[in-house]
Amino acid sequence: MEDYFSYTAKLFDPSKISEKPEVLKGIRVLDFSHVIFGPTATRIMANYGAEVIKLELPFHGDLWRPATYWGKYWKHSNPLWHFVTQNKYFVGLDLKHPEAKDIIYRLAQMCDVVAENFAPGTAEAWGVGYTQISKINPKVIYLSCSTYGQYGPLRFYPGWDLLAQAASGVLSVTGYADTEKFYKLPDYLGDFIPGNFGALAILMALYFRNKTGKGQYIDLAQSEALMRLLFHFTAFQLKGMDIGRTANTDPTMLPASIFKTRDGKFMALACATENQFEALCGAMGRKALLQEKAYADPFERLKPANADSLTKIVAEWLKNTDGEELIQLAREKGFPAAEVLDDYQIYKDPWRRERGSVLLFNDEMYGELVMAGPSAQLSGTPSRTKWIARPLGYHNRLVLKKFLEMSEEKITELEKKKIIGIFDDRPGLKPPVYYNLDADPVYNYGRGETK
Amino acid sequence: MSDKQEKEQVYARYVASGKTMDHLASWGKTLAEVMNPEGKPEVLDGILVLDASLGNFSGIIAASFLAEFGAEVVKIEPPEGDPMRKVTPYGANQQGVGIPFLVEGRNKRYLTLDLRKSEQDRREFARLAGKAAVVIETFPAGEMDAWGIGYRRLRETNPGLIYIAVTPYGQYTEKAKLFANLPDSDLTAQAGSGLPAQVGDPANSPEPYNWPLRAGMWAAWYISGLSAALGGAVALVHRQITGEGQMVDVATMDAYANMVGFPPTIGYTWEKARPRIGVLDFILYPYGMWKCKDGYVVIAAPRDHDFRALLKILGLWHLEDDWRHTPDRIPDVVDQAMVLYKAIEEKTIQNTADELVKKALRYSARAARSKWRGGGVPIIMKMMTPPMTMESKQFAIRKVFQEVEDKTLGKFTINTNFVKMSESPPRVKWVATDIGGDNEYVRNKYLGKE
Repeated sequence: MEDYFSYTAKLFDPSKISEKPEVLKGIRVLDFSHVIFGPTATRIMANYGAEVIKLELPFHGDLWRPATYWGKYWKHSNPLWHFVTQNKYFVGLDLKHPEAKDIIYRLAQMCDVVAENFAPGTAEAWGVGYTQISKINPKVIYLSCSTYGQYGPLRFYPGWDLLAQAASGVLSVTGYADTEKFYKLPDYLGDFIPGNFGALAILMALYFRNKTGKGQYIDLAQSEALMRLLFHFTAFQLKGMDIGRTANTDPTMLPASIFKTRDGKFMALACATENQFEALCGAMGRKALLQEKAYADPFERLKPANADSLTKIVAEWLKNTDGEELIQLAREKGFPAAEVLDDYQIYKDPWRRERGSVLLFNDEMYGELVMAGPSAQLSGTPSRTKWIARPLGYHNRLVLKKFLEMSEEKITELEKKKIIGIFDDRPGLKPPVYYNLDADPVYNYGRGETK
Repeated sequence: MSDKQEKEQVYARYVASGKTMDHLASWGKTLAEVMNPEGKPEVLDGILVLDASLGNFSGIIAASFLAEFGAEVVKIEPPEGDPMRKVTPYGANQQGVGIPFLVEGRNKRYLTLDLRKSEQDRREFARLAGKAAVVIETFPAGEMDAWGIGYRRLRETNPGLIYIAVTPYGQYTEKAKLFANLPDSDLTAQAGSGLPAQVGDPANSPEPYNWPLRAGMWAAWYISGLSAALGGAVALVHRQITGEGQMVDVATMDAYANMVGFPPTIGYTWEKARPRIGVLDFILYPYGMWKCKDGYVVIAAPRDHDFRALLKILGLWHLEDDWRHTPDRIPDVVDQAMVLYKAIEEKTIQNTADELVKKALRYSARAARSKWRGGGVPIIMKMMTPPMTMESKQFAIRKVFQEVEDKTLGKFTINTNFVKMSESPPRVKWVATDIGGDNEYVRNKYLGKE
């Protein structure tokens, strides 16, 4: 029989992705959401083939467009924003205007999914909430994202990723015990993880709609999504145990910590099972440890005093071991170990390129950008990147003409009234300065001959 | 706002009008619909999921999500049980079952099959897989295949099968083959996917505080489990439409980097790695935790008008000139940013968390009702620990915690209802952990009496 890895290499061949079917082809998403939480849910829809129409306020746009790490732009765009806005249609539309609302209702009528992450009540106040949209489109799946949820005493409290981390208990568990610092999960993980929960909920609602024909309303609170990731609650309720901050040591398995090796590398090493612990003891040349009363039984071993002494033994061993040596031993003997990788190592990692976890994407407007691929690789209907972020209002014409069959005259009139609009001169909103927008057939969709 | 005043305060301009409040009352009907999952139909009703994962919690977590959405999940383990039963904080356990395994025992069934050792058990597994919609496994890549029960073989008899595999380096590429026998853990997956490199104090801080730091929770295992369930959900929709199955491959070494997407793009555009910057944020400021009189608060006032409001309520208006614009506050010079951090701290430590929260909310409510734009919404919240969260009225009303009862281990509370849906919400029906507890049930239902 064919070697397994040559079989899987063909099954997942990155060069064949564009030939494979898209699950969500024909699904339309009307996306009022902004920044990260809501847009992540709709981005995943777009990765699997849905047409996502992202609405933004003309001349202002999404709050995250101009906000970039340490103020560093890339080709006059926010490099981090491209990942969250892949494959989306960008429409600049001013919701305040009654005529804009008319356009929105017409779009909502032909959409399968609507998503928003305003402060609870705002979408309803603006007339684009579930109450109104479900009247014109009863089969709609409507996702509302918020920090605390749409009901309950905190419902009107404003929030960000940080607030969800604080309210869920997540913020309080990272750091060193007995210090005055609590480190947040980095890179707005408190938005990204709940965003993925949002995609899961939408997919489940689509599955249900395919079965029954019914749409539904989804109330997703990011604090609650984060709380799903903690077993700390049950540990406290059942055992009175407040786990708190345990620095680099994972208190659930042993040894499990981040160590510094002889050559100054930071390496994570963790033994989750008895076999792995045995393998580690073998690698250290310390098989005798397996017989010691303190370490023989997994529950006994995890008690704080025993955990500390065992962690010290491993730390001492690694002071005389190189990082590469540790990885070799881990692979041969069978215990988990990995180097602590930083941004640059992840960008350069050949395994990630070969796998498609990191993509060198060639975009028609921006050229080459290295970006993350999907979290899961699917052999039959893979996730794909078709284009990255576009300037504010880039798809105005395409969306209004293609989806609503609007005439060029009507669009010009809407532009004059400032009901629809594009970018201003700020980086993050505008195209790269070298880019000739006048010659762009998508931006000028249906305008006949481009200049 | 006086305590007597009972009208609900709102902090968004458009929601603050009386007309809107009336509308919100009628909207209550929809909300009443989402408040209770009981008695509603289940999305994955009739979907059989075989969770053959062993020694890897990501598989168990992925199976949990599908079980909460109504699938029949059968956890398959050898007679001695999954070693994940013994992975638990400080060894805390209920009659030999660790806390995480207990928490993820939601809506599960347990069947004893020793896939590693018994030919006969593998045959039984293959027969079950013929009836299943989803198989989840975490063995070394290629091992199930070598046993004759991998995706390649199972799909011959069940072309609609969705086969989810979770391993550190995935099912294809040279490295996946070379590292097939490397086992998985949360901490190594955090490290290998780039999380700890972003947490911790700057390089010039004393050791060990300047080291990379792990997230104090199973961030990588939960992300991988969620990614596997999400990939499975995409595949289930495809299967529903076309009847076709497929393979879903999750590499836990992708967990963090591919969830947030920042690491590879920053590595490429900056041509170097980010440094660690302690409790600061790379874009937003103020955005983090501060010490107060009776604990800690988080403050988020990053937009300029939020920041101005924060200065006003803390009595720090004299700092406005130096820190007025977002770019002034971007903490690219960490030592300089700490000057503002300290200035804010001097004020927060004079107040209790509740006082600070009240000040911010009172300001926000006023700003929302004002006809002038730019009032700002400075947000201050008390930092909660998991035990404090369990006391919260908000989460009690939203039924985030549920008391469940295991027939062997008794009653306890778990975290649930992570998303509210009006028609087909996820829910926890029971929690079970007994090894082989459903042997008879599963065999009778799916294999008949042979």
